[in-house]
Amino acid sequence: MLAFHARAVADEPKPKPENIISVHLAEPVPPQKFERAPKLWITDVTDRSGNPQPMLVLKSRGGIFLDRQPTVIVREALEESLKSANLLATDANSADLMVRVYLFHFGLAEGSGLDFFGKVEFSTIVKNPKTGETSEVKATGTSIAKGAAKKKNVQKNVQDDLEESLKDATRNFLRGQQLKDAVATLWKAGEATPSAAAKSQ
Amino acid sequence: MRIWIGLMVLAQLTMGGYAVAKNEAPVFKTAEAKHFNGAEGVELSPAFYDYFYAELRNELKKSKLVNDVIGEGEAVDDADAEKSVIINGTVTEYKKGSAVKNALIGFGAGMRSLKLDADVQRRSDKQNLCGMHVHVKIAPNWNEKTMAKFAAQLIVKDMKKELGSQKK
Repeated sequence: MLAFHARAVADEPKPKPENIISVHLAEPVPPQKFERAPKLWITDVTDRSGNPQPMLVLKSRGGIFLDRQPTVIVREALEESLKSANLLATDANSADLMVRVYLFHFGLAEGSGLDFFGKVEFSTIVKNPKTGETSEVKATGTSIAKGAAKKKNVQKNVQDDLEESLKDATRNFLRGQQLKDAVATLWKAGEATPSAAAKSQ
Repeated sequence: MRIWIGLMVLAQLTMGGYAVAKNEAPVFKTAEAKHFNGAEGVELSPAFYDYFYAELRNELKKSKLVNDVIGEGEAVDDADAEKSVIINGTVTEYKKGSAVKNALIGFGAGMRSLKLDADVQRRSDKQNLCGMHVHVKIAPNWNEKTMAKFAAQLIVKDMKKELGSQKK
């Protein structure tokens, strides 16, 4: 029993420089156009995936690990994209709407076995700090990449797959009808905080 | 001599196929694939529908039938709505199959089978542009998600056949 346990522990993949991948957006995702653009602030990104090893993307073939926590990657993707369209507030106090993100899935999901099925899924609570009203906005991103035989190609395909699904999820959130409706409901025209209005001018 | 003629014919066929593929212009501006529903009595996991949704989007991207494959629930400009479509559908039947029947009887007995109906609607006026009925059969020991892959390929192939010639 002890020998089997020791063997199982030895087979657990460990992060090494050669099996760590860096996932980030190649370029920011342009958000949809709002009639009157609010300033958003990402308050927090919470991991709700229940995955004990969120940085382990693939267990087989010696393992593939992420270089950062998925919550950090998702936060960076959202902030970069909001910033590119001048929708990111400079701080929490100047924000018109606060966004709290709950990450449900980041990584590979079970596919056909012939390819890699990347999936990023999160839900957000958009809140107007002045009124306290909230609205839920969900987003999902998927991507399918070719399978590979060589370890180097496996790593490259998994990285491309995750980057594509992250881009897809970010786009789904920023260009979604749900966000449009949430902004329209929570932040009506003329409700801008004095500091945000001054900054946008 | 025969080899040379064979090579020339092969080269012409390849170039012909390439020229046809290059001339293909997207028919629609955007396409939104929705998660399909299961009819009553269809026992498929939510993971199957997720994978099928991803495969359908992947096949649509590869088909070059549309300019942009958008995610579920994404907003589309009013100007583009007329040239945009929504793909919706239902899995009407799923049979798990039987490995024993397949091994003992053969000739297609005990195969895993999936039937689904799909509709392509124009986004602006919700007009039905085409309807498709797809039936996929695979060996009972194959992964059910392989069926999703084949079904997505068949839907996009049918879409191309029905709508590919229409220049919107």
